[in-house]
Amino acid sequence: MLAAVIITGICLVSVFISYLAFSKGFTKNADDYFTAGSSLGYFILIFSLLASFLSAFSMFGMAGFGYRLGFGSLYVLTANLVPLGFLWYYMHKKTFLLGRARKWMSMGAPFGERYGTPMKIILVLVVLVSSIPYVVAQIQGIGVMLETMTEGLISYRVGLFFVPLFIALYLMMGGMKGAAWINAAQGVFFSIMVFILFFFVMMKNGGFAATMDQVLAKHPTLFQIGWSGGKVWSYPMIFGMASAMCLGCVCFPQPYMHAYASRSVRGLKAMFLSFGGICLVVITLPTIIGIAGTLIVPGLKGVEADKIFGLVASATMPDWLAALAVSGGFAAAMSTVNGLVFGNATNISVDIIKTLRPQTKPLELIFLARLWVALIMAACVVIAWNPKTPVAELSVIAFGTVAVTFFALWGAYYWKRATATGAILSTLVGVSMNIAFFVAGGKNMVLFPQASLFQLNGFLASFIIAGMVFFVGSFLTSPGKTEEKSLGLFFHPVLSK
Amino acid sequence: MASNASKGKNAVFLFVFLVLTVLCWCPIGYGSYGEVGLIMSMPSWAFILLLIGAVLFVIEWGFLFFSDLALYDEDLQPIMDELLKTIEQETIKEVN
Repeated sequence: MLAAVIITGICLVSVFISYLAFSKGFTKNADDYFTAGSSLGYFILIFSLLASFLSAFSMFGMAGFGYRLGFGSLYVLTANLVPLGFLWYYMHKKTFLLGRARKWMSMGAPFGERYGTPMKIILVLVVLVSSIPYVVAQIQGIGVMLETMTEGLISYRVGLFFVPLFIALYLMMGGMKGAAWINAAQGVFFSIMVFILFFFVMMKNGGFAATMDQVLAKHPTLFQIGWSGGKVWSYPMIFGMASAMCLGCVCFPQPYMHAYASRSVRGLKAMFLSFGGICLVVITLPTIIGIAGTLIVPGLKGVEADKIFGLVASATMPDWLAALAVSGGFAAAMSTVNGLVFGNATNISVDIIKTLRPQTKPLELIFLARLWVALIMAACVVIAWNPKTPVAELSVIAFGTVAVTFFALWGAYYWKRATATGAILSTLVGVSMNIAFFVAGGKNMVLFPQASLFQLNGFLASFIIAGMVFFVGSFLTSPGKTEEKSLGLFFHPVLSK
Repeated sequence: MASNASKGKNAVFLFVFLVLTVLCWCPIGYGSYGEVGLIMSMPSWAFILLLIGAVLFVIEWGFLFFSDLALYDEDLQPIMDELLKTIEQETIKEVN
C-alpha cells in the first residue's frame, strides 16, 4: 500500500510540474513546445539529460550486474561514459549553433539540410524503430515493478495503463519544458536515493572496507577480470561493452533535443560535461551495492539477481525508505520513457509530417506531436501487454542501431566531401548488420566478442563496417545540389572554433 | 601564429583525450587477469579506472571552461549574426 501511495505521488507530482509549464504559457507556439524556447538553464539541462538516458537498467540492472559479475561491471556505465563530455560537445556544437540560427526543432533537421529529405526520413524511422523496444522494455519494467512493489495490489496489466497514462498526459501538456522539469526532478530524486541506499548497505556490514573484505573472502572472482577461463571481463568483452554504450549515447534524440533547448553555451557545455561525471559516481554506487548484496542476500541466480537492488533495500532500510529507494529506479524508467517518446513524437511531426505537408501550421504541428505522444505510448502498451514478449532482449540492439548514424552526423558537420548516398548506405548497412547479428546469434552476438568477427562484438563490427561504407560510398559518388548548397552554412568560417 | 598555437593545443588535448578514452574503455596497462591487489578496498584496476575517469573529467572541464579552444557565451552573438546574414543572403539568392 505504501509503495502504491509513493508511486501515485511521483506520477501526480510529475503531472503537476507539467501543468506548471503548461499554465505558464510555455507550450503556446511550436518553438516553445518542441525546444522549450531555447530557455533551459544548466541545472535543469544537466539532470534532464542524465535522467532521460539513465533507465531502470542503470539502477536495478547495474546492481544485478555487480552481484553476478563483480567490479568488471564498472566498464558498462561509469568511467566509460566520461568521454561523452568532449564527444557530445564535438558532435553537437554545430547542432546547437546551427539549430539556433535555423530554428531546428528535431533531430532530422541537420540530416535533412545536409543530405536531403530521404536521409532525414530514414533517420527518423531508424530512431523510431530502435527506440520502441527500448521504451517497451521500460514500460514492461514499470509494470513488473508496480506489481512487485504493491504486492499485487496493482497488477502488471493495470500498471501498463496506470503509469503510461500519466506519462502521456504530462508529455502532451508540458512539451519540452515540462518534460525537462520532470526529468530533472526525477533525476535528482533517484540520485539522492542511490546515495542513501549505498550508505545503509555499507553500514550493514561495518562500513565500506569491512564489507569489501568480506566479499573478497567469499567471492574473490568478483574482484577479478578475465575470470571463468578468460571468458568473463576479457579485454575484448570490456572494450566491446564500454565503447558500445558510449558511442550509442552520441546518436540518440536526447542530446539533440537538449542542445536545441539550451539557453546558453555555458549550459550546453555543463550538461555534456556533467553527464559522465555524475555517471562515474551515481552508477558506480548501485554496482557496488550489488557486489555488497552477495553478503546480504546470497545465492540469487540469473535474472533473480536483478532484484538485488530492492532486496537489499528491504533488508537494510525501514519499509518506507526502502519503498522510496526502489521508487528511484521507477522514476529512472519513467524519465527515459519521457525522453524517447517526446523525441520521437517531435521527429515524426516535424521531420516527416511537416516535410510531406509543408503548409502545416505551427499549432497543427503541436497538436500532431501530442497525438503522436499518445499513439507511441498506446503502441508500446499494446506490445508490452504480454510480459513474456522478449522486447528487453530486442532493446539490446537499440544502441547499436542508432550508433551507426554517427558517421552521417560527423560527415554532415566536419567532412565537406560527405554525400547523401554515403550517409544513406552506411545507415542502412549498419542497421541491417545489427539486425542480422541479432537474428543469427541473439543478444550474445551483439554484445559479446565473437571469434568469427575478429573478437569484436556485433555492435562494433556493424559500427566499423558502417563507417567504411560511409567513406567509400561518399568517395564513389559526387555531392548533389543539396550537399553543395549546405556547405556555405555547415562549414561557415565562424563555426571553426 | 596564434592559430598555430591553438592547433598545437588542440592536438595535445586530442591526443590526451584519445589515450584516456582508450584507458576508460579497456584496462590496457593497468589490469591483468587473475588475482589482484587492493587500493581503498577495491581491486587496483577498478580504483585506477575510476581515477582515470576522474582525471579525464577534469581535463574535459579544463578544455570546455578554461581554454581558448572551446566556445563561450560571448562568442555566441557574433556567430549568430554571421550565420543569420548568410541565411538571409541564401534566401535572397533562392528567391531571385
